[in-house]
Amino acid sequence: MSLSLLTELEPLKDTLPVVEMRHVTISFDGPPVLEDVSFRVAPHETRILLGPAGVGKSVLLKLINGLVKPDKGEVLLFGDLISGMPEENLFPLRARTGMVFQEGALFDSLSVRDNVGYQLIEEKKLTDEEIDAKVRESLSFVELEETFSLFPSSLSGGMRRRVAIARALINQPELLLYDSPTGGLDPVTSTNIISLIVKQRDVRSTPSLLVTHRLQDAFMMCTHRFDAGKGEMVPLPKGVTDPNTTFMMLDEGQLIFDGSLHQLLHTDNTFVKEFIE
Amino acid sequence: MAIQTLDRTAKQIVLTVQDYSIFAWRSLMNLFRPPVYWSDFLIQSDIIGVGSVSIVLLSGFFTGAVLALQSAATLSAFGATGITGRFVSLTMIRELGAVLTGIMVSGRNASSMASELGSMVVTEQIDAMRALGVDPLRKLVTPRIYATITMLFFLTIVANTFGILGGAAVTVFLNHQNGMQYFSMAWEGLHFRDVAQGLVKPLFFGYIIASIGCFYGMKTTGGTQGVGRSTIQAVVTSSVLIIVADFLITHVMLSLWPA
Repeated sequence: MSLSLLTELEPLKDTLPVVEMRHVTISFDGPPVLEDVSFRVAPHETRILLGPAGVGKSVLLKLINGLVKPDKGEVLLFGDLISGMPEENLFPLRARTGMVFQEGALFDSLSVRDNVGYQLIEEKKLTDEEIDAKVRESLSFVELEETFSLFPSSLSGGMRRRVAIARALINQPELLLYDSPTGGLDPVTSTNIISLIVKQRDVRSTPSLLVTHRLQDAFMMCTHRFDAGKGEMVPLPKGVTDPNTTFMMLDEGQLIFDGSLHQLLHTDNTFVKEFIE
Repeated sequence: MAIQTLDRTAKQIVLTVQDYSIFAWRSLMNLFRPPVYWSDFLIQSDIIGVGSVSIVLLSGFFTGAVLALQSAATLSAFGATGITGRFVSLTMIRELGAVLTGIMVSGRNASSMASELGSMVVTEQIDAMRALGVDPLRKLVTPRIYATITMLFFLTIVANTFGILGGAAVTVFLNHQNGMQYFSMAWEGLHFRDVAQGLVKPLFFGYIIASIGCFYGMKTTGGTQGVGRSTIQAVVTSSVLIIVADFLITHVMLSLWPA
Protein backbone atom coordinates (compact mmCIF):
# COMPACT_ATOMS: atom_id res chain seq x y z
CA MET A 1 0.00 0.00 0.00
CA SER A 2 1.26 3.51 -0.75
CA LEU A 3 1.63 5.46 2.45
CA SER A 4 2.65 8.72 0.74
CA LEU A 5 -0.88 10.06 0.20
CA LEU A 6 -2.80 9.36 3.37
CA THR A 7 -6.24 10.55 4.37
CA GLU A 8 -7.22 10.67 8.01
CA LEU A 9 -10.81 9.98 9.02
CA GLU A 10 -12.47 12.39 11.46
CA PRO A 11 -11.06 11.78 14.97
CA LEU A 12 -13.35 11.12 17.93
CA LYS A 13 -13.62 14.33 19.95
CA ASP A 14 -13.19 14.64 23.68
CA THR A 15 -11.27 17.14 25.73
CA LEU A 16 -9.84 15.85 29.02
CA PRO A 17 -6.76 13.67 28.43
CA VAL A 18 -6.66 10.23 30.00
CA VAL A 19 -2.90 10.51 30.45
CA GLU A 20 -0.75 13.59 30.53
CA MET A 21 3.00 13.90 31.09
CA ARG A 22 4.51 17.28 31.72
CA HIS A 23 8.28 17.76 31.43
CA VAL A 24 9.07 14.39 32.99
CA THR A 25 12.68 13.43 33.74
CA ILE A 26 13.81 10.19 35.34
CA SER A 27 17.18 8.54 35.89
CA PHE A 28 18.47 5.38 37.62
CA ASP A 29 22.00 5.90 39.03
CA GLY A 30 23.27 7.52 35.86
CA PRO A 31 22.30 9.79 32.98
CA PRO A 32 18.56 10.46 32.51
CA VAL A 33 16.61 7.62 30.94
CA LEU A 34 13.88 10.10 30.00
CA GLU A 35 14.41 13.84 29.85
CA ASP A 36 11.78 16.57 29.67
CA VAL A 37 9.14 14.31 28.11
CA SER A 38 5.66 15.78 27.60
CA PHE A 39 2.66 14.30 25.78
CA ARG A 40 -1.03 13.47 26.15
CA VAL A 41 -3.30 10.54 25.45
CA ALA A 42 -6.84 11.65 24.64
CA PRO A 43 -9.94 9.50 25.23
CA HIS A 44 -10.43 6.99 22.37
CA GLU A 45 -6.86 7.65 21.21
CA THR A 46 -4.28 4.96 20.54
CA ARG A 47 -0.71 6.19 20.76
CA ILE A 48 2.13 4.14 19.41
CA LEU A 49 5.50 4.75 21.02
CA LEU A 50 8.37 3.88 18.73
CA GLY A 51 12.07 3.79 19.37
CA PRO A 52 15.07 1.49 19.40
CA ALA A 53 15.67 -0.87 22.32
CA GLY A 54 16.87 0.71 25.55
CA VAL A 55 15.63 4.27 25.03
CA GLY A 56 13.18 4.21 27.96
CA LYS A 57 9.94 3.11 26.32
CA SER A 58 9.04 0.61 29.05
CA VAL A 59 10.02 3.11 31.76
CA LEU A 60 7.63 5.61 30.20
CA LEU A 61 4.79 3.08 30.42
CA LYS A 62 5.63 2.33 34.06
CA LEU A 63 5.59 6.06 34.83
CA ILE A 64 2.04 6.29 33.53
CA ASN A 65 0.55 4.00 36.17
CA GLY A 66 2.97 5.00 38.89
CA LEU A 67 5.11 1.85 38.96
CA VAL A 68 8.10 4.20 38.94
CA LYS A 69 8.20 7.85 40.02
CA PRO A 70 9.72 10.68 38.01
CA ASP A 71 12.61 12.76 39.38
CA LYS A 72 11.10 15.89 37.85
CA GLY A 73 7.85 16.80 36.14
CA GLU A 74 4.24 15.71 36.53
CA VAL A 75 2.26 12.65 35.48
CA LEU A 76 -1.54 12.86 35.40
CA LEU A 77 -3.66 9.70 35.14
CA PHE A 78 -7.44 10.17 34.65
CA GLY A 79 -6.89 13.81 35.68
CA ASP A 80 -5.21 12.91 39.00
CA LEU A 81 -1.64 13.97 39.64
CA ILE A 82 0.09 10.68 40.44
CA SER A 83 3.76 11.66 40.38
CA GLY A 84 3.79 12.46 44.10
CA MET A 85 0.94 10.18 45.13
CA PRO A 86 1.52 7.60 47.92
CA GLU A 87 1.55 3.97 46.73
CA GLU A 88 -1.68 3.15 48.61
CA ASN A 89 -3.66 5.80 46.73
CA LEU A 90 -2.36 4.54 43.41
CA PHE A 91 -3.93 1.07 43.64
CA PRO A 92 -7.51 2.19 42.82
CA LEU A 93 -6.21 4.15 39.81
CA ARG A 94 -4.12 1.21 38.61
CA ALA A 95 -7.16 -1.05 38.91
CA ARG A 96 -8.78 1.15 36.22
CA THR A 97 -5.92 0.52 33.80
CA GLY A 98 -4.85 -2.66 32.06
CA MET A 99 -1.20 -3.36 31.40
CA VAL A 100 0.35 -6.01 29.18
CA PHE A 101 3.99 -6.60 30.12
CA GLN A 102 6.85 -7.34 27.76
CA GLU A 103 7.02 -11.07 28.53
CA GLY A 104 3.43 -11.35 29.72
CA ALA A 105 4.41 -11.42 33.43
CA LEU A 106 1.88 -14.15 34.17
CA PHE A 107 1.92 -15.57 37.70
CA ASP A 108 3.60 -18.91 37.05
CA SER A 109 2.21 -20.62 40.14
CA LEU A 110 -1.40 -19.81 39.18
CA SER A 111 -3.57 -21.35 36.48
CA VAL A 112 -4.71 -19.35 33.45
CA ARG A 113 -8.12 -18.99 35.14
CA ASP A 114 -6.55 -17.50 38.28
CA ASN A 115 -4.19 -15.31 36.25
CA VAL A 116 -6.92 -13.82 34.09
CA GLY A 117 -9.35 -13.47 36.99
CA TYR A 118 -6.70 -12.23 39.45
CA GLN A 119 -8.10 -8.75 39.82
CA LEU A 120 -11.67 -10.03 40.29
CA ILE A 121 -10.54 -12.67 42.79
CA GLU A 122 -8.69 -10.05 44.84
CA GLU A 123 -11.61 -7.61 44.75
CA LYS A 124 -13.85 -10.34 46.28
CA LYS A 125 -17.00 -8.76 44.83
CA LEU A 126 -18.03 -11.67 42.58
CA THR A 127 -18.79 -15.32 43.24
CA ASP A 128 -16.53 -18.04 41.82
CA GLU A 129 -19.13 -18.83 39.12
CA GLU A 130 -19.33 -15.17 38.07
CA ILE A 131 -15.53 -14.95 37.95
CA ASP A 132 -15.38 -18.13 35.84
CA ALA A 133 -17.88 -16.65 33.39
CA LYS A 134 -15.90 -13.39 33.13
CA VAL A 135 -12.63 -15.28 32.66
CA ARG A 136 -14.15 -17.40 29.88
CA GLU A 137 -15.51 -14.27 28.20
CA SER A 138 -12.11 -12.60 28.36
CA LEU A 139 -10.35 -15.72 27.12
CA SER A 140 -12.80 -16.05 24.24
CA PHE A 141 -11.91 -12.46 23.22
CA VAL A 142 -8.31 -13.65 22.72
CA GLU A 143 -9.52 -17.01 21.35
CA LEU A 144 -7.94 -19.10 24.09
CA GLU A 145 -10.91 -20.57 25.94
CA GLU A 146 -9.33 -24.02 25.93
CA THR A 147 -6.47 -22.84 28.16
CA PHE A 148 -8.78 -22.12 31.13
CA SER A 149 -7.30 -24.80 33.42
CA LEU A 150 -3.74 -24.82 32.13
CA PHE A 151 -0.68 -23.31 33.77
CA PRO A 152 1.45 -20.64 32.04
CA SER A 153 4.40 -23.04 31.74
CA SER A 154 2.42 -25.17 29.29
CA LEU A 155 1.62 -22.23 26.97
CA SER A 156 3.62 -20.99 23.99
CA GLY A 157 5.08 -17.45 23.97
CA GLY A 158 2.26 -16.12 21.79
CA MET A 159 -0.41 -17.77 23.94
CA ARG A 160 1.10 -16.21 27.07
CA ARG A 161 0.87 -12.75 25.52
CA ARG A 162 -2.75 -13.39 24.59
CA VAL A 163 -3.53 -14.57 28.14
CA ALA A 164 -1.80 -11.42 29.40
CA ILE A 165 -4.06 -9.36 27.13
CA ALA A 166 -7.10 -11.26 28.46
CA ARG A 167 -5.96 -10.46 32.02
CA ALA A 168 -5.55 -6.79 31.16
CA LEU A 169 -9.02 -6.63 29.58
CA ILE A 170 -11.10 -8.55 32.11
CA ASN A 171 -12.09 -5.55 34.21
CA GLN A 172 -12.90 -3.41 31.15
CA PRO A 173 -10.10 -0.90 31.81
CA GLU A 174 -10.35 2.76 30.94
CA LEU A 175 -6.79 2.77 29.63
CA LEU A 176 -4.59 0.03 28.15
CA LEU A 177 -0.81 -0.02 28.23
CA TYR A 178 0.94 -2.52 25.95
CA ASP A 179 4.67 -3.03 26.51
CA SER A 180 6.12 -4.60 23.34
CA PRO A 181 3.29 -7.15 23.05
CA THR A 182 4.78 -8.67 19.89
CA GLY A 183 8.45 -8.61 20.92
CA GLY A 184 10.23 -11.88 20.14
CA LEU A 185 7.23 -13.45 18.39
CA ASP A 186 7.01 -14.84 14.86
CA PRO A 187 5.23 -12.71 12.19
CA VAL A 188 2.01 -14.77 12.19
CA THR A 189 1.64 -14.65 15.99
CA SER A 190 2.54 -10.93 15.97
CA THR A 191 -0.23 -10.25 13.46
CA ASN A 192 -2.68 -12.17 15.67
CA ILE A 193 -1.71 -10.06 18.67
CA ILE A 194 -2.01 -6.81 16.69
CA SER A 195 -5.38 -7.99 15.44
CA LEU A 196 -6.54 -8.37 19.07
CA ILE A 197 -5.29 -4.89 19.94
CA VAL A 198 -7.06 -3.40 16.89
CA LYS A 199 -10.21 -5.33 17.89
CA GLN A 200 -10.06 -3.83 21.39
CA ARG A 201 -9.45 -0.36 19.94
CA ASP A 202 -12.34 -0.52 17.46
CA VAL A 203 -14.89 -2.52 19.46
CA ARG A 204 -14.48 -0.90 22.87
CA SER A 205 -12.72 2.38 21.92
CA THR A 206 -10.40 2.03 24.92
CA PRO A 207 -7.58 4.60 24.87
CA SER A 208 -4.22 2.91 24.77
CA LEU A 209 -0.50 3.37 24.56
CA LEU A 210 1.48 0.73 22.72
CA VAL A 211 5.24 0.45 22.93
CA THR A 212 6.99 -1.25 20.06
CA HIS A 213 10.13 -1.17 17.98
CA ARG A 214 8.48 -3.07 15.14
CA LEU A 215 7.37 -0.63 12.44
CA GLN A 216 5.26 -3.21 10.63
CA ASP A 217 3.07 -3.60 13.74
CA ALA A 218 2.72 0.16 14.12
CA PHE A 219 1.76 0.69 10.48
CA MET A 220 -0.64 -2.24 10.55
CA MET A 221 -2.50 -0.71 13.48
CA CYS A 222 -2.84 2.56 11.60
CA THR A 223 -3.93 1.10 8.29
CA HIS A 224 -6.33 -1.60 9.48
CA ARG A 225 -9.62 -1.78 11.31
CA PHE A 226 -11.57 -4.58 12.96
CA ASP A 227 -14.53 -5.81 10.93
CA ALA A 228 -17.07 -7.03 13.49
CA GLY A 229 -19.13 -8.73 10.74
CA LYS A 230 -16.23 -10.83 9.50
CA GLY A 231 -14.73 -11.14 12.97
CA GLU A 232 -11.27 -10.24 11.71
CA MET A 233 -8.92 -7.35 11.03
CA VAL A 234 -9.26 -5.88 7.52
CA PRO A 235 -7.26 -3.18 5.71
CA LEU A 236 -8.68 0.32 5.48
CA PRO A 237 -9.26 1.66 1.95
CA LYS A 238 -6.07 2.59 0.16
CA GLY A 239 -4.52 5.78 1.53
CA VAL A 240 -6.86 5.95 4.56
CA THR A 241 -5.52 5.71 8.10
CA ASP A 242 -7.10 5.46 11.52
CA PRO A 243 -7.37 9.06 12.81
CA ASN A 244 -7.19 8.08 16.47
CA THR A 245 -3.93 6.20 16.11
CA THR A 246 -0.95 8.51 16.38
CA PHE A 247 2.79 8.13 16.86
CA MET A 248 5.54 9.21 19.21
CA MET A 249 9.20 8.42 18.98
CA LEU A 250 11.88 8.35 21.66
CA ASP A 251 15.59 8.66 21.16
CA GLU A 252 18.21 8.95 23.88
CA GLY A 253 15.55 9.72 26.47
CA GLN A 254 13.90 12.52 24.53
CA LEU A 255 10.62 12.64 22.67
CA ILE A 256 11.75 13.53 19.16
CA PHE A 257 8.45 13.03 17.34
CA ASP A 258 4.75 13.37 18.17
CA GLY A 259 2.20 13.27 15.37
CA SER A 260 0.17 11.32 12.83
CA LEU A 261 1.35 8.65 10.41
CA HIS A 262 1.36 11.24 7.62
CA GLN A 263 3.59 13.55 9.67
CA LEU A 264 5.81 10.62 10.62
CA LEU A 265 6.39 9.75 7.00
CA HIS A 266 7.13 13.35 6.05
CA THR A 267 9.22 14.47 8.99
CA ASP A 268 12.58 16.17 8.49
CA ASN A 269 14.09 14.53 11.57
CA THR A 270 17.07 12.49 10.40
CA PHE A 271 16.82 9.85 13.14
CA VAL A 272 13.11 9.26 12.49
CA LYS A 273 13.79 8.96 8.76
CA GLU A 274 16.58 6.45 9.36
CA PHE A 275 14.40 4.49 11.78
CA ILE A 276 11.56 4.27 9.28
CA GLU A 277 13.82 3.34 6.41
CA MET B 1 39.76 7.10 45.57
CA ALA B 2 39.66 4.91 48.67
CA ILE B 3 37.78 7.62 50.56
CA GLN B 4 35.25 7.90 47.74
CA THR B 5 34.70 4.14 47.82
CA LEU B 6 34.28 4.24 51.61
CA ASP B 7 31.90 7.18 51.30
CA ARG B 8 29.82 5.38 48.68
CA THR B 9 29.74 2.15 50.69
CA ALA B 10 28.72 3.99 53.89
CA LYS B 11 25.91 5.78 52.05
CA GLN B 12 24.79 2.48 50.53
CA ILE B 13 24.66 0.84 53.97
CA VAL B 14 22.70 3.73 55.48
CA LEU B 15 20.27 3.68 52.53
CA THR B 16 19.77 -0.09 52.80
CA VAL B 17 19.09 0.19 56.56
CA GLN B 18 16.64 3.01 55.89
CA ASP B 19 14.87 1.06 53.13
CA TYR B 20 14.73 -2.05 55.32
CA SER B 21 13.31 -0.11 58.28
CA ILE B 22 10.52 1.42 56.21
CA PHE B 23 9.81 -1.92 54.50
CA ALA B 24 9.74 -3.91 57.74
CA TRP B 25 7.60 -1.35 59.59
CA ARG B 26 5.03 -1.08 56.78
CA SER B 27 4.81 -4.85 56.46
CA LEU B 28 4.19 -5.21 60.19
CA MET B 29 1.58 -2.44 60.37
CA ASN B 30 -0.37 -3.82 57.39
CA LEU B 31 -2.00 -6.31 59.75
CA PHE B 32 -3.99 -3.51 61.35
CA ARG B 33 -5.45 -2.12 58.11
CA PRO B 34 -7.61 -3.98 55.59
CA PRO B 35 -7.29 -5.90 53.36
CA VAL B 36 -5.64 -8.64 55.42
CA TYR B 37 -4.90 -11.82 53.48
CA TRP B 38 -5.78 -14.50 56.05
CA SER B 39 -5.83 -17.32 53.50
CA ASP B 40 -2.26 -16.43 52.46
CA PHE B 41 -1.30 -16.38 56.14
CA LEU B 42 -2.61 -19.95 56.52
CA ILE B 43 -0.86 -21.15 53.35
CA GLN B 44 2.44 -19.63 54.48
CA SER B 45 2.00 -21.07 57.99
CA ASP B 46 1.68 -24.49 56.40
CA ILE B 47 4.74 -24.00 54.18
CA ILE B 48 6.92 -22.44 56.88
CA GLY B 49 5.64 -24.25 59.96
CA VAL B 50 4.52 -27.71 58.93
CA GLY B 51 7.21 -27.88 56.25
CA SER B 52 9.96 -27.19 58.78
CA VAL B 53 8.80 -29.64 61.45
CA SER B 54 11.02 -32.52 60.33
CA ILE B 55 14.29 -30.53 60.24
CA VAL B 56 13.51 -28.79 63.53
CA LEU B 57 12.55 -32.07 65.18
CA LEU B 58 15.71 -33.84 64.05
CA SER B 59 18.08 -30.96 64.81
CA GLY B 60 16.45 -30.48 68.23
CA PHE B 61 16.61 -34.17 69.11
CA PHE B 62 20.27 -34.62 68.19
CA THR B 63 21.33 -31.31 69.77
CA GLY B 64 19.78 -32.47 73.06
CA ALA B 65 21.47 -35.85 72.62
CA VAL B 66 24.90 -34.27 72.05
CA LEU B 67 24.40 -31.95 75.04
CA ALA B 68 23.65 -34.97 77.22
CA LEU B 69 26.69 -36.83 75.93
CA GLN B 70 29.07 -33.92 76.43
CA SER B 71 27.68 -32.76 79.78
CA ALA B 72 27.59 -36.26 81.26
CA ALA B 73 31.27 -36.73 80.41
CA THR B 74 32.20 -33.46 82.14
CA LEU B 75 29.79 -33.77 85.06
CA SER B 76 30.97 -37.27 85.89
CA ALA B 77 34.33 -35.76 86.90
CA PHE B 78 32.45 -34.01 89.72
CA GLY B 79 30.12 -36.91 90.43
CA ALA B 80 27.21 -34.79 89.24
CA THR B 81 25.87 -36.77 86.27
CA GLY B 82 22.47 -36.65 87.95
CA ILE B 83 21.96 -33.05 86.92
CA THR B 84 22.32 -33.81 83.19
CA GLY B 85 18.58 -33.27 82.77
CA ARG B 86 18.76 -29.83 84.27
CA PHE B 87 21.72 -28.89 82.09
CA VAL B 88 20.04 -30.07 78.88
CA SER B 89 16.64 -28.51 79.57
CA LEU B 90 18.07 -25.13 80.61
CA THR B 91 20.42 -24.96 77.64
CA MET B 92 17.75 -25.99 75.16
CA ILE B 93 14.96 -23.80 76.51
CA ARG B 94 16.97 -20.66 77.24
CA GLU B 95 19.28 -20.67 74.24
CA LEU B 96 19.74 -23.46 71.80
CA GLY B 97 16.11 -24.30 71.04
CA ALA B 98 15.30 -20.81 69.81
CA VAL B 99 18.64 -20.07 68.12
CA LEU B 100 18.97 -23.43 66.36
CA THR B 101 15.36 -23.38 65.20
CA GLY B 102 15.84 -19.79 64.01
CA ILE B 103 18.93 -20.68 62.01
CA MET B 104 17.38 -23.85 60.57
CA VAL B 105 14.20 -22.01 59.55
CA SER B 106 16.29 -19.14 58.21
CA GLY B 107 18.25 -21.53 56.00
CA ARG B 108 15.07 -23.12 54.71
CA ASN B 109 12.63 -20.20 54.53
CA ALA B 110 14.56 -16.91 54.29
CA SER B 111 16.24 -18.41 51.23
CA SER B 112 12.94 -19.62 49.81
CA MET B 113 11.28 -16.22 50.37
CA ALA B 114 14.19 -14.33 48.79
CA SER B 115 14.35 -16.60 45.76
CA GLU B 116 10.59 -16.78 45.26
CA LEU B 117 10.02 -13.03 45.53
CA GLY B 118 13.25 -12.31 43.65
CA SER B 119 12.10 -14.47 40.73
CA MET B 120 8.78 -12.66 40.75
CA VAL B 121 10.60 -9.31 40.63
CA VAL B 122 12.86 -10.21 37.70
CA THR B 123 9.97 -11.66 35.68
CA GLU B 124 7.91 -8.49 36.36
CA GLN B 125 5.26 -10.46 38.28
CA ILE B 126 5.53 -8.01 41.20
CA ASP B 127 5.01 -5.07 38.83
CA ALA B 128 2.09 -6.96 37.26
CA MET B 129 0.56 -7.41 40.71
CA ARG B 130 0.94 -3.70 41.44
CA ALA B 131 -0.48 -2.86 38.01
CA LEU B 132 -3.52 -5.04 38.82
CA GLY B 133 -4.18 -2.92 41.90
CA VAL B 134 -2.84 -5.35 44.50
CA ASP B 135 -0.22 -4.28 47.06
CA PRO B 136 2.55 -6.93 47.03
CA LEU B 137 3.64 -5.87 50.49
CA ARG B 138 0.19 -6.76 51.89
CA LYS B 139 -0.34 -9.81 49.70
CA LEU B 140 3.12 -11.40 49.84
CA VAL B 141 5.20 -9.93 52.66
CA THR B 142 2.82 -9.35 55.59
CA PRO B 143 1.40 -12.93 55.59
CA ARG B 144 4.95 -14.35 55.47
CA ILE B 145 6.10 -12.20 58.41
CA TYR B 146 3.19 -13.11 60.68
CA ALA B 147 3.25 -16.76 59.61
CA THR B 148 6.98 -17.01 60.40
CA ILE B 149 6.59 -15.31 63.79
CA THR B 150 3.69 -17.59 64.75
CA MET B 151 5.18 -20.80 63.46
CA LEU B 152 8.69 -20.19 64.81
CA PHE B 153 7.16 -19.86 68.28
CA PHE B 154 5.63 -23.34 68.00
CA LEU B 155 8.63 -24.83 66.21
CA THR B 156 10.85 -23.67 69.08
CA ILE B 157 8.59 -25.54 71.51
CA VAL B 158 8.91 -28.63 69.29
CA ALA B 159 12.73 -28.24 69.20
CA ASN B 160 12.89 -27.82 73.00
CA THR B 161 10.68 -30.84 73.59
CA PHE B 162 12.63 -33.08 71.25
CA GLY B 163 15.93 -31.72 72.55
CA ILE B 164 14.99 -32.81 76.07
CA LEU B 165 13.82 -36.18 74.69
CA GLY B 166 17.13 -36.57 72.83
CA GLY B 167 18.99 -35.90 76.06
CA ALA B 168 16.80 -38.45 77.81
CA ALA B 169 17.49 -41.07 75.17
CA VAL B 170 21.25 -40.67 75.61
CA THR B 171 20.96 -40.59 79.39
CA VAL B 172 18.90 -43.77 79.54
CA PHE B 173 20.22 -45.86 76.65
CA LEU B 174 23.88 -44.81 76.43
CA ASN B 175 24.76 -43.53 79.88
CA HIS B 176 22.49 -46.09 81.61
CA GLN B 177 21.11 -43.58 84.12
CA ASN B 178 17.68 -43.21 85.61
CA GLY B 179 15.17 -41.64 83.24
CA MET B 180 12.88 -40.41 86.03
CA GLN B 181 15.77 -38.61 87.66
CA TYR B 182 16.64 -36.98 84.31
CA PHE B 183 13.10 -35.68 83.80
CA SER B 184 12.62 -34.55 87.40
CA MET B 185 15.92 -32.61 87.28
CA ALA B 186 14.92 -31.14 83.90
CA TRP B 187 11.59 -29.99 85.37
CA GLU B 188 12.87 -28.73 88.73
CA GLY B 189 15.64 -26.67 87.16
CA LEU B 190 13.22 -24.62 85.09
CA HIS B 191 11.79 -21.26 86.16
CA PHE B 192 9.35 -18.88 84.55
CA ARG B 193 12.19 -16.56 83.52
CA ASP B 194 13.84 -19.40 81.56
CA VAL B 195 10.69 -20.30 79.68
CA ALA B 196 9.89 -16.61 79.04
CA GLN B 197 13.38 -16.01 77.68
CA GLY B 198 13.14 -19.03 75.39
CA LEU B 199 9.73 -18.12 74.03
CA VAL B 200 10.26 -14.39 73.54
CA LYS B 201 13.26 -14.97 71.29
CA PRO B 202 11.46 -16.81 68.47
CA LEU B 203 9.06 -13.88 68.10
CA PHE B 204 11.98 -11.61 67.23
CA PHE B 205 13.80 -14.27 65.23
CA GLY B 206 10.69 -14.97 63.14
CA TYR B 207 10.38 -11.29 62.34
CA ILE B 208 14.06 -11.12 61.35
CA ILE B 209 13.88 -14.21 59.11
CA ALA B 210 10.78 -13.19 57.17
CA SER B 211 11.46 -9.47 56.89
CA ILE B 212 15.07 -10.01 55.75
CA GLY B 213 14.09 -12.80 53.33
CA CYS B 214 11.31 -10.73 51.78
CA PHE B 215 13.37 -7.53 51.77
CA TYR B 216 16.22 -9.04 49.78
CA GLY B 217 13.73 -10.79 47.50
CA MET B 218 11.85 -7.59 46.72
CA LYS B 219 15.10 -5.67 46.15
CA THR B 220 16.43 -8.19 43.62
CA THR B 221 18.06 -6.78 40.50
CA GLY B 222 20.17 -8.38 37.80
CA GLY B 223 18.17 -11.37 36.57
CA THR B 224 18.70 -14.94 37.72
CA GLN B 225 22.19 -14.14 39.00
CA GLY B 226 20.59 -11.44 41.15
CA VAL B 227 18.13 -14.00 42.56
CA GLY B 228 21.05 -16.17 43.67
CA ARG B 229 22.77 -13.16 45.25
CA SER B 230 19.60 -12.15 47.11
CA THR B 231 19.17 -15.68 48.43
CA ILE B 232 22.71 -15.76 49.83
CA GLN B 233 22.37 -12.28 51.35
CA ALA B 234 19.04 -13.21 52.96
CA VAL B 235 20.39 -16.36 54.64
CA VAL B 236 23.68 -14.80 55.76
CA THR B 237 22.11 -11.58 57.05
CA SER B 238 19.23 -13.26 58.86
CA SER B 239 21.52 -15.87 60.47
CA VAL B 240 23.95 -13.22 61.71
CA LEU B 241 21.11 -10.99 62.92
CA ILE B 242 19.59 -13.92 64.84
CA ILE B 243 22.85 -14.37 66.78
CA VAL B 244 23.16 -10.62 67.41
CA ALA B 245 19.50 -10.36 68.47
CA ASP B 246 19.95 -13.39 70.71
CA PHE B 247 22.75 -11.62 72.57
CA LEU B 248 20.72 -8.41 72.96
CA ILE B 249 17.52 -10.18 74.06
CA THR B 250 19.44 -12.35 76.53
CA HIS B 251 21.11 -9.26 77.96
CA VAL B 252 17.77 -7.45 78.37
CA MET B 253 16.00 -10.51 79.80
CA LEU B 254 18.78 -11.19 82.30
CA SER B 255 18.65 -7.60 83.49
CA LEU B 256 14.85 -7.92 83.88
CA TRP B 257 15.02 -11.31 85.63
CA PRO B 258 18.49 -11.79 87.12
CA ALA B 259 19.43 -15.44 87.59
